[in-house]
Amino acid sequence: MASRTLISRAGRMKTKLETALQAAALEIEDVSHQHAGHAAVREMEGGANETHFNVRIVSDKFEGQTLVKRHRMVYDLLSDELDSGLHALSITAKTPKEAGIN
Amino acid sequence: MTCSHSYNIKQSALDSITPSALHKVSNSFSSITLNIFWDLTNLMKFELQSVIVSALKKLSETEVVAVSSESDGIFPSDSGVYAVYDGSGDLQFVGITRNLAASIITHKKSVPELCSSVKVGVVEDPDKTALTEAWKSWMQDHIAVTGKVPPGNEPGNSTWVKKAPKKKSDLKLTPGRHVQLTVPLEDLIDRLVKENKVVAFIKGSRSAPLCGFSQRVVSILESQGVDYESVDVLDDECNTGLRETLKKYSNWPTFPQIFVNGELVGGCDILSSMYEKGELADLFKQ
Repeated sequence: MASRTLISRAGRMKTKLETALQAAALEIEDVSHQHAGHAAVREMEGGANETHFNVRIVSDKFEGQTLVKRHRMVYDLLSDELDSGLHALSITAKTPKEAGIN
Repeated sequence: MTCSHSYNIKQSALDSITPSALHKVSNSFSSITLNIFWDLTNLMKFELQSVIVSALKKLSETEVVAVSSESDGIFPSDSGVYAVYDGSGDLQFVGITRNLAASIITHKKSVPELCSSVKVGVVEDPDKTALTEAWKSWMQDHIAVTGKVPPGNEPGNSTWVKKAPKKKSDLKLTPGRHVQLTVPLEDLIDRLVKENKVVAFIKGSRSAPLCGFSQRVVSILESQGVDYESVDVLDDECNTGLRETLKKYSNWPTFPQIFVNGELVGGCDILSSMYEKGELADLFKQ
C-alpha cells in the first residue's frame, strides 16, 4: 500500500538509520519511478510509490562487519518499512575509512 | 550421463556422411572448436568415400599422449582432429578444433575424469571440409574396430560441448501446486543451497529475468562462467510460498539472493561489488 503519512518513507528511513547507526553520511534517493513497470510493483495499490530506494550510508558501526552483516543491519532497522510496501533497497554501506571521511 | 549403445554400421543404409551438427564453440583462447555429433541415421558412405586427409595418420597409428595439468605447451595450437581417452584407455570423444592445445586444456578442465590422454592430428589445410574429413576418418577408424560411436559423439551427449549460456533451466522446488510437500519448505531450501555450489534465487527465469537486479545477477554469474542453479521466486505454481519462507530462512528481506556453498552471499549490490573488486573468482573457487 502506498504511504499516506505526512512524513515520507524516505524521511522515516533517514531518521531510523541516522539514529541507530549514527551515520557519518547518509543519502536516500527514491528511485521508485524507475521501477514503475516492475511486475511486483504494478500489482500494488497506488503503483510505484515509495517502493525502491538507493541508500548510501557511512557509519563506523560497519567496521569489522561483512557486507552481508552491514546490509542486514540496514534491513533490520527498516523492517517496518519492508513490511509496509518498501520493495527493494540498493545499499552502499561503508565505514568512514572506506569512504575516505574522518 | 552417457549411454553406450552399440550400433551395427553395416545395417545402416546411410547415404550421407555429413555430421548432424557443427557446433561453433568459442573458448577463452578465442579459437573456434567444432564439435561434431555423429548422427547415425545420416551415417555411412564411408566405404565409398575416399579419405582426403592424406597427411593425417590413422587413429590407431597415432601416438597417445597423456594430458596433465602441466600439459601447457606440449600440444600444438594448430587446427586439427583429436581423440580423447579416459583413464581406462577407452575412447570418449573425437573432436575437431582450430586450436588443439586450447581445446584439450578446456576439456581437461571441464571433464578431468574423462580426459586422461589424447591423440592429436594436425590438419595442414584448416578449412572446415578438411577438418571434417579428418574427423570422419578417425571416427571411421574407431568404428571399424569397435563398431561403436565414442560416447561423447552420440547424439544428445553434451559432455564435450561448452554449455550455451542460459541454456540450463531453472530449478523448481515442486512439480506443481497440487503436490503436497512431505518436508517443510525450509528444509527443501536448506538442501537446495547446501547441495548446489551456487544458487541464485531470482525474479523470473534465468533466460528472462523480470527485474533489473535479477538480470544483473544472472549476467554477472554468466560472465564468471560459473555453473549455478537458479530458482524463480515468482513461480507461485512450482515454488509456492518460497518468497516468504526464503526471507525467513536467509534473514534477508529482498530478492535476488545468491548462495555459495550454502551461505548467503547477499543480493545484487553485494554480488556487484564483489564482481567489481574481482573477488568472485576466489568465492567460486572455495
